[in-house]
Amino acid sequence: MSKPTREEIYDKICELLKPYNPKNRPIEMSSGIMSDLEVDSVAVFDLVMGLEDHYDISIPMEMVSDIKTVGELTTAITELTSK
Amino acid sequence: MSLFDKYAPLKTRVDMMMKIGKDALGVQFDDIIDATRGRIGNREILLAGTNNYLGLTFDEDCMSAAKKAVDDHGTGTTGSRVANGSYSEHVDLEKALAEHLGMPSCVVFTTGYQTNLAAISGLAGDKDVIFMDADAHACIIDGTRLTGASTIRFRHNNPEDLDKRLKRQGEIEGGNALVVIEGMYSMFGDIAPIDEFLDVTHRYGGYLYIDEAHSYGVFGPTGCGIAEDQGVLDRVDFISGTFSKSLASVGGFCASRHAEFEILRKVMRPYMFTASATPSNICAALAAVEKVKQGDHLRANLNIRAEQLHKGLAEMQYELCAEASPVIAVRRPNEAVAAMEWNWLIENGVYVNLAVPPGTPQSSSLLRISLSAAHTEEDINTILKAFADLKDNQGALMAGMASKLQAAE
Repeated sequence: MSKPTREEIYDKICELLKPYNPKNRPIEMSSGIMSDLEVDSVAVFDLVMGLEDHYDISIPMEMVSDIKTVGELTTAITELTSK
Repeated sequence: MSLFDKYAPLKTRVDMMMKIGKDALGVQFDDIIDATRGRIGNREILLAGTNNYLGLTFDEDCMSAAKKAVDDHGTGTTGSRVANGSYSEHVDLEKALAEHLGMPSCVVFTTGYQTNLAAISGLAGDKDVIFMDADAHACIIDGTRLTGASTIRFRHNNPEDLDKRLKRQGEIEGGNALVVIEGMYSMFGDIAPIDEFLDVTHRYGGYLYIDEAHSYGVFGPTGCGIAEDQGVLDRVDFISGTFSKSLASVGGFCASRHAEFEILRKVMRPYMFTASATPSNICAALAAVEKVKQGDHLRANLNIRAEQLHKGLAEMQYELCAEASPVIAVRRPNEAVAAMEWNWLIENGVYVNLAVPPGTPQSSSLLRISLSAAHTEEDINTILKAFADLKDNQGALMAGMASKLQAAE
């Protein structure tokens, strides 16, 4: 499988975020996952499990704790999938 | 900007709850009458949310043991076991629990929360990897945060998902896998397939740690918990538990089939740097361990009451989150409805727990009931009637909530 681009990863995150974004807030790279989109802390970890399975990578919880925005999550997955 | 501004969104939620009624996370009882009854003002309240699974808080032997401990050794220990030494009670309780679980090592702690905090942070080093069930309790999550170990979350109660993530992780260079699950989960009351988790964990050379806080005393032929119930207790690496549920006291324990666990007494910060449990707490728990071992009749009644309540609520078409167990969670459509109904229940004499995200799985809003062996058939009928009335009064309740919220605007 070829390595996904940053744009593809961003699109996937937006897709997986949908069920956690019932108010349908606009999602941008700068959106705070918990602060702007109001995704609760447990749901963030559920979202991450979906991304781990999609890209067959491990995203440890301590790394997730440091991720605040959609852009930071995109960057983290881009780095993990490029290894 | 104030130090407290970051809590503004939380305050909005709390304010909404307060407009609807009481603070469900800050109820004050004026009296606790016995294991299943409390009082608020002039109203007697049926307690159905206190995790008092065996109803031993008012057991005469447990109360006598606690009182005698105060007479013999005073009210407090005034320091940690490292600094002030252990009392004979601490050691006696560790021996009793180790013997009950059939394990060579057991350490007692001052609270259940501190137990998982201490044991998990002590066991996992920088090079180890913790694999944690997605629905693990906050004290397990916090325990992982005190370590330098990486933590991977796997899908709830899903040994196949654990297998996938252990495989994905590959060889852990210079470290080990520590898999952490619970016996019965506190919010939904669902039960882990421990035998399957053991097979997967040990196939990868890992260690299995089970928090039996809500299941010790309640399950198994002698009350050791779910692992004993499933006939695999002797294969489990670590079992933790609490004194604040079936053991009717305050404190916790972690036991291991590995005698080397003893070295952790010199490592675990929440063990070394906090005051040890009081003689009265320890002696009440020690008396309760004997009750657990002889507690077939208590477990039998608890199971009958759980079946009775689960069946009754299911017949009313309430959505229940798991099979019958001493924890029965009723799923509600959202936080505001759940809060309104919780208020209605307590105003009608029944105390259950209001459980809301992020403390719940699947962002659920729950009316959570925990049963006790001290509950009678009539008590369960009272709870069922309250839930039936709740359903019958749904229209008026929702109209009331709307007007309360409107009036507060």
